[in-house]
Amino acid sequence: MSYHESPERDYVLSVLAQNNAGVLLRIAGLFSRRCYNIKSIVAAQTEDAAYSQMIIVVQGDDRIVRQVDKQLSKLAEIEQVTVLSDQDAVVREHLLLKVKRTDKTSDQLMAIANVFHASILNVTPENLMVELTGSAQTLNSFIECYKPYTIEKILRTGAMAMEK
Amino acid sequence: MLLTGAQIIMECLLEQQVDTVFGYPGGAVLNIYDALYEYQDRIHHICTAHEQGAAHAADGYARASGKTGVCIATSGPGATNLVTGIATAYMDSVPVVAITGNVNLNLLGLDSFQEVDITGVTMPITKHNFIVKKIENLADTLRHAFRIAGEGRKGPVLVDIPKDITAQKCEFTRVKDLAGTFDEQREREMHLPIVKPLPTPKPQRLEQALELLQRSERPYIYAGGGVISAGASPELRAFAEKLDAPVSCSLMCQGGYDQADRRYLGMLGMHGTVASAKTLQHCDLFVAVGTRFSDRVICNAGLFAKHCPIIQIDIDPAEFNKNIDVNLRVSGDAKEILRILTEKLGQQEHSEWMARVAGWKEQYPLEQKASQPDGVTPQEVLETLARLTGDEAIITTDVGQHQMWAAQFYEFRRPRQFLTSGGLGTMGFGLGAAIGAQVAEPGRKVINITGDGSFHMNCSELATAVKYRIPVIDLLLDNTVLGMVRQWQKLFYDWRFSQTTLERATDYEMLARAFGAKAFTIRTKGEIEPVLREALNQDCPVVVHCVIDKDVNVLPMVPAGASAEEPITTME
Repeated sequence: MSYHESPERDYVLSVLAQNNAGVLLRIAGLFSRRCYNIKSIVAAQTEDAAYSQMIIVVQGDDRIVRQVDKQLSKLAEIEQVTVLSDQDAVVREHLLLKVKRTDKTSDQLMAIANVFHASILNVTPENLMVELTGSAQTLNSFIECYKPYTIEKILRTGAMAMEK
Repeated sequence: MLLTGAQIIMECLLEQQVDTVFGYPGGAVLNIYDALYEYQDRIHHICTAHEQGAAHAADGYARASGKTGVCIATSGPGATNLVTGIATAYMDSVPVVAITGNVNLNLLGLDSFQEVDITGVTMPITKHNFIVKKIENLADTLRHAFRIAGEGRKGPVLVDIPKDITAQKCEFTRVKDLAGTFDEQREREMHLPIVKPLPTPKPQRLEQALELLQRSERPYIYAGGGVISAGASPELRAFAEKLDAPVSCSLMCQGGYDQADRRYLGMLGMHGTVASAKTLQHCDLFVAVGTRFSDRVICNAGLFAKHCPIIQIDIDPAEFNKNIDVNLRVSGDAKEILRILTEKLGQQEHSEWMARVAGWKEQYPLEQKASQPDGVTPQEVLETLARLTGDEAIITTDVGQHQMWAAQFYEFRRPRQFLTSGGLGTMGFGLGAAIGAQVAEPGRKVINITGDGSFHMNCSELATAVKYRIPVIDLLLDNTVLGMVRQWQKLFYDWRFSQTTLERATDYEMLARAFGAKAFTIRTKGEIEPVLREALNQDCPVVVHCVIDKDVNVLPMVPAGASAEEPITTME
């Protein structure tokens, strides 16, 4: 056995916590002081207001993720930690993108949106705002397609995931 | 009964059978101190010179007694002064409940006078912490604080209480069966943590452990502070007998295994014995109990026990595969696991291996030589002290060379006999801890081994010892330098003694007397025993100033980056 035997990649963790004041700070603080890399974190109240559900994407190897799992599980207000695999969970991400538009580029911008089944949220003479939900990979390709047209702003939620 | 928040705090302390607390008054805890005045016949409060001293005293009290220690401080600077003490307890898994006052609810977050976000500050150094914003939640919050501090892997918990909460009134009912008070539904409503089950050993893992144990021809047991925390010393002894194996202990487990026993080899790690290092090198199975493989033990993670399987027994599964990878992990209570393994394991016999180990122990004893014929060596001071006090005394330490010498040369015979800041390495820990230990164990002699560097950090607690007639002995090994740092400067910085030559003009005898303590000095070898005898005969606080050579090093030593199997034994 040796250190870091598995390659680094992204792991999706589903964390169920009591919805108490400061719980997100406790989790974020744990990641920071133990030098774990958070790529994204999505947190919201569940159907039961007593709980908060978080989806955390961690970058690391197997060993680090096992540590993250066990250290998180030790926090008094954490009820459950699950490391989700690609096979048994659906992972989606939401994107808002604002791109520069002119009369000349307008049709091309719309065509790209149509290909990805993205929704147009707002149009002004200067720019176009679109919205897309999908896998991180889809979102990345979508962004790539708009790059030649000068992207003004991007907002990504980070991954949401649900077990099948 | 209808009680104020401050009275509810007192009642909750009584529920937990707390009869002693350490603290320091202030504006935000006025109501709490008013209640302490009312409850003074049942709760004894010791007012320290500095809140840090109170935190260390609560910690020392907990380490000596096995009960949860309690300290109280006011908001702002009072609370932040606890921080080093809380972090010390956290690193060594000591159960402490720290209660801090805070400003009134409507002043929170406004940078009010003496306001600090102490739950934010202490989040990384507590098992859990709370701020109580509703009087109705106060009693249950305190019950959870004690539960969390004392269960599983123990540790400090902080409860921050705004001043107006301590003044408000609420109905309070005394609870007899504390374990029965935790109710999931209510906890959810109050936003309190829900009780989680503690880890228990998996039968399959126990079977695998037995198989490894039976197959081993050269087993080696390494015990950590978890053994003391779990009260598992008798089980460890029985296990070692059944397995017929040698035993080493970490700094945190000094006394967790009787050091007079032939199986005991000394410490393992940076300042461990050569016998431990040799045994580590040649064993074919390494059994770690209640220990977290600190970097001060494994030295180089990539080189530690690479040639043999490791079994790790621990209550905290997060300690598995953290600092090093182990082959077999058994989670659960060390006492229970050792009992099961001892019961199921047939009597093993490794007389050849035990003879080899005994040979190393004899071949490489710990030895210090004086530079002058009548010079005082720490070894002789500590061995004489051990001889005069037997296994009755409790030894606390500060941090540095004297700490390692105390661990190396004082023969510890029972758990909770040696109290030291192992994880955080807090200079200034010892005197406060000694005060706490002495209060917990009034029948025992408590001696703090300190150095001249550490002594200056918190010597003001002598005032506390004198005021409350707490007869601790502060045994100061004075080499006029910051010896441990200086030792590293010798090894790695070409003898460039940057800021480690203290040579302070402090007259220790005069200072001790100024505080109201008695004082003695040891300057020569011949004075060691008579002076120690006289100091031990006092029933008041005593400072023994002991002059030692500044160039005595802590040896053996594993230099940074080297393997724990290869300590150096000389620095000449």
